[in-house]
Amino acid sequence: MLYYLIVCRSLTYAQRTAAALERAGITARVIRSPRSVAGEGCSHSVRIAQWDLTDALRVLQRAGMSPKRIFVSGGNGGYQEVPL
Amino acid sequence: MIYLDSAATTLQKPSAVARASGWAIGHLASPGRGGHRPAMAAAETAFACREEAAALFHVPDPEQVVFTFNATHGLNIAIRTLARPGGRAVISGYEHNAVTRPLHAVPGLEVAVARGALFRPEAVLEDFARELDRGADLAVCNHVSNVFGFVLPVEEVARLCRAREIPLIVDASQSAGCLPLDFQALGAAFVAMPGHKGLYGPQGTGLLLCGTDPVPVLYGGTGSESRRQSMPQVLPDRLEAGTHNIAGVAGLREGLRFLRRRGIASIAAHERALIRQLGEGLRQLPGVEVFLSQDPEVQAGVLSFRLAGRDCEEVGEALGEQGFALRAGLHCAPLAHQSAGTLETGTVRASVSAFNTPQEIGRFLDAMGRLAKG
Repeated sequence: MLYYLIVCRSLTYAQRTAAALERAGITARVIRSPRSVAGEGCSHSVRIAQWDLTDALRVLQRAGMSPKRIFVSGGNGGYQEVPL
Repeated sequence: MIYLDSAATTLQKPSAVARASGWAIGHLASPGRGGHRPAMAAAETAFACREEAAALFHVPDPEQVVFTFNATHGLNIAIRTLARPGGRAVISGYEHNAVTRPLHAVPGLEVAVARGALFRPEAVLEDFARELDRGADLAVCNHVSNVFGFVLPVEEVARLCRAREIPLIVDASQSAGCLPLDFQALGAAFVAMPGHKGLYGPQGTGLLLCGTDPVPVLYGGTGSESRRQSMPQVLPDRLEAGTHNIAGVAGLREGLRFLRRRGIASIAAHERALIRQLGEGLRQLPGVEVFLSQDPEVQAGVLSFRLAGRDCEEVGEALGEQGFALRAGLHCAPLAHQSAGTLETGTVRASVSAFNTPQEIGRFLDAMGRLAKG
């Protein structure tokens, strides 16, 4: 199943992001970012289902929260960055 | 024992505080240091605690709530950020050594004291306005004196600072959890507070509310941006190097929840009533000099007194032997004693919490009555 990773600037920001999405009824889980998307080393991301991306972006924009980067999972276990 | 030393540490806490801290020791790991369940549960606890604090103190964003070891730790960060060698700081005449010692350590820093007479907020304001007009890199204002319970006019001082674009540090060590505090309305650069006093958390906890970009005093691992050798720019990671005191944070969260349920305004009214009862009772006793404000709004849950001809430490000791826990001496605040004219003698200090009762104050007054009659 495909999913999106919203890469966040900190664990606390990821928690804020997930909380904002959950409040809007979007299932969101904070996870450690996979190494291939982590950028400067360890980071945290919010994982959401493929079909929730558009709504999630709308919710985050309304909350004044800007995702750092977004990746989509590939079938081969890799990730591809989604242009914002 | 009757505990009247909550200005140092509240000893009676909501029972949920110890339960949460004990549970955390066995179940929570390190936030941000792993994706496993104990680490993520610790992260959830830390975030929930930040959210509680943000709601209680009107902080726009939980990222601005930083965990510290105590208020002194937070004040050191705030002062390190804003004070520069050869610069100028304006402080109130009621600051604790947690403020004056870090300022003293800044080479060539001029420290101007806006002294203001005890229990005269308008005098404090006049002195602040005069000193701020001479220019300053920063101002520091204690919200409540840890010696006298004097409630300083921190909102008005903040207004003076904003009008002059001078960053303000508020020491909320004695006010956090005891008086309403609106971080957003103050517009302060930093507000520092301990977790173990009016917030009813465990010792070893504190909060720094950040309104400006801080300079870290600790460097190390944060569980983020690990390839980079400089500290992360973002809060709270920038100021939270090393493993968190997550057992303390779990307890602190319960303390904050207690405050939200009970209501800070209700606690303030309760503590003020106890201090009135205590101050007016002490006034009736021979040889007792009480530092009680005429206006109840100008004094929080702390009160100092002296007994004529008796060393304050001896009085504290005698009360201790009778089962009353108070603190005597200078209370780490020689500047406050200087401002009030009690530097040479010190004082005996009684301080109350939400858990003290009028009956306890009555028993203390009985004991003081016997002591005063010698």
